[in-house]
Amino acid sequence: MKKALHTVAVFSRLNTRRFFRDRLALFFGIAFPVIFLFVFGGIFGRDSGVSFKVALINNSSSSQAQTLVSDIKHNKVFKVDPVITNLSEAKEKMNRSQLDATIVLPPSFGEQGQKYPTGKVQLLYTQNNEQAGQALSSLMDSVLTGLNGKYVSGDRPFTVESLKQTNNSLSRFDYAFAGLLGFSIIGLGIFGPINVFPELKKQGILRRLHTTPLRVWQYFVSTAISQTIVGMVSLGVLFAIAIAVFHLHVVGNWLEILIWVILSIIMILGIGLAVGGWARNERQAAPLGNLVVFPMMFLSGTFFPRFLMPEWLQGISNWLPLTPVIDGLRLIATEGKTILDILPQFGLLCGWMILIYIIAFRVFRWE
Amino acid sequence: MAQKIVTVTNLRKRYGDNEVVKGISFEVEKGEIFGILGPNGAGKTTTLEMIEAMRPIDGGSATIDGIDVASHAWEIRRIIGVQPQSPAFQDKTKLTEIIELFAAAYGENVDAMEFLRDVNLDEKASSFAESLSGGQRQRLSIAAALVHNPKVFFMDEPTTGLDPQARRNLWELVQQVRDKGVTVIMTTHYMDEAELLCDRVAIMDEGKIIALDSPKKLIKQLLAKGFTKKQHVEQADLEDVFIDFTGKALRD
Repeated sequence: MKKALHTVAVFSRLNTRRFFRDRLALFFGIAFPVIFLFVFGGIFGRDSGVSFKVALINNSSSSQAQTLVSDIKHNKVFKVDPVITNLSEAKEKMNRSQLDATIVLPPSFGEQGQKYPTGKVQLLYTQNNEQAGQALSSLMDSVLTGLNGKYVSGDRPFTVESLKQTNNSLSRFDYAFAGLLGFSIIGLGIFGPINVFPELKKQGILRRLHTTPLRVWQYFVSTAISQTIVGMVSLGVLFAIAIAVFHLHVVGNWLEILIWVILSIIMILGIGLAVGGWARNERQAAPLGNLVVFPMMFLSGTFFPRFLMPEWLQGISNWLPLTPVIDGLRLIATEGKTILDILPQFGLLCGWMILIYIIAFRVFRWE
Repeated sequence: MAQKIVTVTNLRKRYGDNEVVKGISFEVEKGEIFGILGPNGAGKTTTLEMIEAMRPIDGGSATIDGIDVASHAWEIRRIIGVQPQSPAFQDKTKLTEIIELFAAAYGENVDAMEFLRDVNLDEKASSFAESLSGGQRQRLSIAAALVHNPKVFFMDEPTTGLDPQARRNLWELVQQVRDKGVTVIMTTHYMDEAELLCDRVAIMDEGKIIALDSPKKLIKQLLAKGFTKKQHVEQADLEDVFIDFTGKALRD
């Protein structure tokens, strides 16, 4: 037994070393997920609240119009297009949905009425932007309330008070980040073996190893150990960047996160070992790999959160192997749950692990 | 009579309707270099693979050092070393690491440099395997196959594709391996190689052994049948010329 473990130790050590020497493997294992992180972070960044892209066309020279323009420009909800100066340009951009609406202050805006200055702001939007238009029209109402206050004082017996709930709410970035971790685990655990194994078989390297007393379990365990080490580095880099650059707020226990990451990598790697171990060549490995990976990737919340899916689809995706990985990572890391709180996910993860490895051992071929 | 280390009895293999090894029997003596000769498709490699416990045996039996191959594959793997037809190694792995890796497969810990020195690769110890030439790869493969001190060493067409210098170097290596007491079983379709290296050869064709003896005796038997070669007495051939011009030194 001691000799058998010595075999595992040497194979793990050399496998790991080989990974860090291989630029291509480093790119796909570490740099590639980091690029995705910046893309996702840019899209779902934590501090990007709701905003509307508008064109602002001021045809009035009154001081009230100037006040209103500066109010709008200083309001974070409005993103004013800096280029557009006339209505036809604005209409063209609205038709291409590059703008949500156009705000027009007519020449008469701010003209002196009987008691005080008056004016009508025009809000233009296309039928595709019905919702944005309505939201903007009530927003404009509230902006104008400030202006009106200067001229008419009136009591407002009924008002709205907005209370922002900040503690522990999940942003879309939290969902995207958990999905990205899942994507990274798939890249290492599945795409790794299904690319490498056919090549090892083609060159007869696995066959040569089979002439030695090396056992399949030793090969699997040493692969799992080195992939876990690589995975911890890769996911560690992702966590570090997410925390430093995108203000990811990790509330969970790091040890539990680590345990979950290790279990996840081992389970997902089993899929890669099964597919790559079964396939005789890349013509078998690639299609089967894609068949397994892509539905799982889309349905388990890698690229968009599962709560956006219809109920029946969630019913299916609940049971996929990647789902407990991603849900568990999010629940532990960003929602502060412990593994004991998420026993259903834990059970599903372990169940899949056992099933996948039984299959992987059964179908493994040395050549 | 020398001790028998490998005994093959009535060995058979079929792929579908095609019987590629048709009940062959032979014995290999301890410490000899035994050659299996034959044209492509004669069943040489299949025979070797069955004795190496790499292919299921369909009929008959093979034993190495008294151990039955079919029923004790894992014990067999411990006492044999295998040199594949075209050795390949994982890239981004240093030569020392490859030796360590193979030793580890047997649960052993060895001094990798010592094995590399035996095959003249100590200068390349820190290079990656993918930077080796064909001859160097063959030598590395021999070193890797001997890390666990095997009793029998199998080589499948070891010199195919090598230049004359590398071939000669490999022959010397094979003789050194034999001198250490390892029994060598090799296939080849180069007759000069077999004549020079092998103590005894089995000639295979269409799945059967059609002759088995020492190269000298086989030649004598042929001459006794009245065979005469067109006499063409030259004291050298083109290969001698080539070696004279280019030298024996290895070029990899």
